[in-house]
Amino acid sequence: MAISRHGKHTRVIGISPNGPTGHGDEVESAYLAPRFEEEDFPWKQILGYIASLVLTALAFGAVVKHILPPAFLIGFILFLAVLQASLQLGVFMHLREGRGSTWQIVTLTLAILMGIGLVICSIWIMTFKSGVS
Amino acid sequence: MNVPIEPESQSTQMPLEFTSEHESLKILGFWAFLATDFLLFSSLFAVYAVYQFRVGMSGPTPAQLFHLGPVIFETVALLTSSFTCGLAVYEMRHHRLKGTIIWLAVTIVLGAAFVATEINEFLGDIALHDTWHRSAFLSSFFTLVGTHGSHVTFGIIWALTLLIQLAGRGLTQVTTRKVYMFALYWHFLDIIWVFIFTVVYLSGKIL
Repeated sequence: MAISRHGKHTRVIGISPNGPTGHGDEVESAYLAPRFEEEDFPWKQILGYIASLVLTALAFGAVVKHILPPAFLIGFILFLAVLQASLQLGVFMHLREGRGSTWQIVTLTLAILMGIGLVICSIWIMTFKSGVS
Repeated sequence: MNVPIEPESQSTQMPLEFTSEHESLKILGFWAFLATDFLLFSSLFAVYAVYQFRVGMSGPTPAQLFHLGPVIFETVALLTSSFTCGLAVYEMRHHRLKGTIIWLAVTIVLGAAFVATEINEFLGDIALHDTWHRSAFLSSFFTLVGTHGSHVTFGIIWALTLLIQLAGRGLTQVTTRKVYMFALYWHFLDIIWVFIFTVVYLSGKIL
């Protein structure tokens, strides 16, 4: 990826977690340590923007041209939307940055799990033809 | 259990919005807010998915109601505003106040273009008597898309207050933290819009 080509301009500031305390409670995960990225040129943002436009154009083109049967087409554009969301989270929302990104990642994962459960289960239960009237 | 305190020399390597532990906790709290907002939109998406085809006696179907032209414009405007908002945070991290203010202002203009187009769409629907009273589909459509639109409108007002604060106080621990939180909010709304674009508008044209 082009980001790594310009890698020398990108510095990851990983501040080492606190040293051994002798109590056996040292921080083990890198996600619990402060981590920030610093760039000399916004390559990430520019590439992220181009990628988001490409994903949108792909989804739009696939629907206008009807390249797949309806059920597969919906699956395909949903997949593109999930890619787009991951891109926004990773590039623009600095998901992996913070004073220990574990906390925001856990919060978000829980919300996504509950959200998926809510949507999928609602659709599923409404496909029952009888018994809920 | 003792909680070691970071030496001051390490804290200065962090971006300004994270240097104060108190301010960085507020950023984490904002992630928690975004999680609850995500659940709100999940519920509205579930309602929409269930009511999508309950179009009533003479109400329009999704394919009849939607015009993809304005929707594409809204999508590109919001994606671009997400990019300019990312550039505002980039400039902020390089301690450039002017760049931060300029990109934030561009973000506001693009957000306003999005809201104006959406309101125009809604007024067009209402002029044809396709209001949210007409069918379950229209109720869930206006609730889902309208909730997103009101979030964007609130974001524009929030960003305007940030511009005033940035102009008055410059880049401090507090103002940078506020801009960072606004950026999280704005990109989150962009993600929600991508799903509205996919689940509501594009799927409506397929089925």
